[in-house]
Amino acid sequence: MTALDAVSVYTPAFRVPIEDLADPLGLTDIQVRLFRRFHGLDQVRFDPDRSPDGLLRAAAEGLAELRGQEHRVRYVVHGRAMPVVVPYPVNPLHDVCRQLGLGHALAFTVTQQSCASGLLAVDLAGRLLAGDPDEDALALVLTGEKAFTRHARLLPGTSLFGEGASACLVSANGPRDRMLSFVCAQRGEFDGEFGDREDDFQRQYRPSLAEVINRAVADAGLALDDIRLVLPHNVNVVTWQRLCTLMDFPVRRVLLSNVPENGHLFCTDAFANYRTARERDLLREGDHYLVATVGAGAGATFSAMVFQH
Amino acid sequence: MTAPDAQVDIASRDRVVQAMTTVLKRLVERQEPITEDMHMADELGVSSSLGLELLLEVEEQLGIQIDVERMRPDELLTVGQLATFIAANSRPW
Repeated sequence: MTALDAVSVYTPAFRVPIEDLADPLGLTDIQVRLFRRFHGLDQVRFDPDRSPDGLLRAAAEGLAELRGQEHRVRYVVHGRAMPVVVPYPVNPLHDVCRQLGLGHALAFTVTQQSCASGLLAVDLAGRLLAGDPDEDALALVLTGEKAFTRHARLLPGTSLFGEGASACLVSANGPRDRMLSFVCAQRGEFDGEFGDREDDFQRQYRPSLAEVINRAVADAGLALDDIRLVLPHNVNVVTWQRLCTLMDFPVRRVLLSNVPENGHLFCTDAFANYRTARERDLLREGDHYLVATVGAGAGATFSAMVFQH
Repeated sequence: MTAPDAQVDIASRDRVVQAMTTVLKRLVERQEPITEDMHMADELGVSSSLGLELLLEVEEQLGIQIDVERMRPDELLTVGQLATFIAANSRPW
């Protein structure tokens, strides 16, 4: 059973109040006030001094459990939201693999599910390990990217993106944080290539996310009330408040405190929220928790994963 | 969930309706009157993001804070339904 053996997160110390992003992003006063009042945003993290591979390395270097185990790492999977982040032939993933002594590993990037690609990477890592003849093989899942353009920094009326990275050591049979289920719904009909579907996407956002959450919980053999904690994507606060109302799930069991602290860190939110939950002792041995996210780009992906701690 | 009418102060609700219609006319650039039975999405073209802008401006005009986490947008379809919800689920700043 796929397990998260260790998780490390790097979030830059440099934070920008959302009011300071108004000019560079072309936001009106009311758009900024909406982000603060309803979306729960306060500041967004950036690291102007780190390149894409620097972000990934910062997260991986915090993964003490990786040291001395590099030879066991067979796969390195980068879950990333943006399809293209550097000019050819630069390859931040291959660079960081060499820097970490992982040049022997099969390394590749998945971006097909946008911000949901981090969970996809965990699922893929687990599948690859399950099919690997070496029972001791490990996979390293990385997330992290630069919010390098206006398009990458702003989801109009919805969220502001920041920078951060995570490194997650995955095993096929680890003793902790075992994945019990994974459900994702890929919704190609929301691709902007087929016309403006934004209103329809907004209307279906919460019901679609609720549906994959309920399926993931059922596939894990649980009821929603068995979920001690939800680790959300940091899209904004009001979306999660309304989703909880829709699902009759207490919003106090959704870890939303990183929304004002970080902004939306692309694929890194799930892992950053996991670290926060651990640091605050919000998960006890045996607890079930759920990670949920939505990727919106070329189409949309709604994903939910249930773990036992 | 939308609060029952019996719990809504009529004068408060009237003030909410007045503020909403004023703000809505500007947001959707409509000259004609806006009535309580109008469907906000289908008749007035209010998207979810424009709906939040409406709530923010109503809050600021009336000096109230709306309890948005209790909202079920799918049950608040008309101007009148949203006004009733706001009147029943808001408090002074």
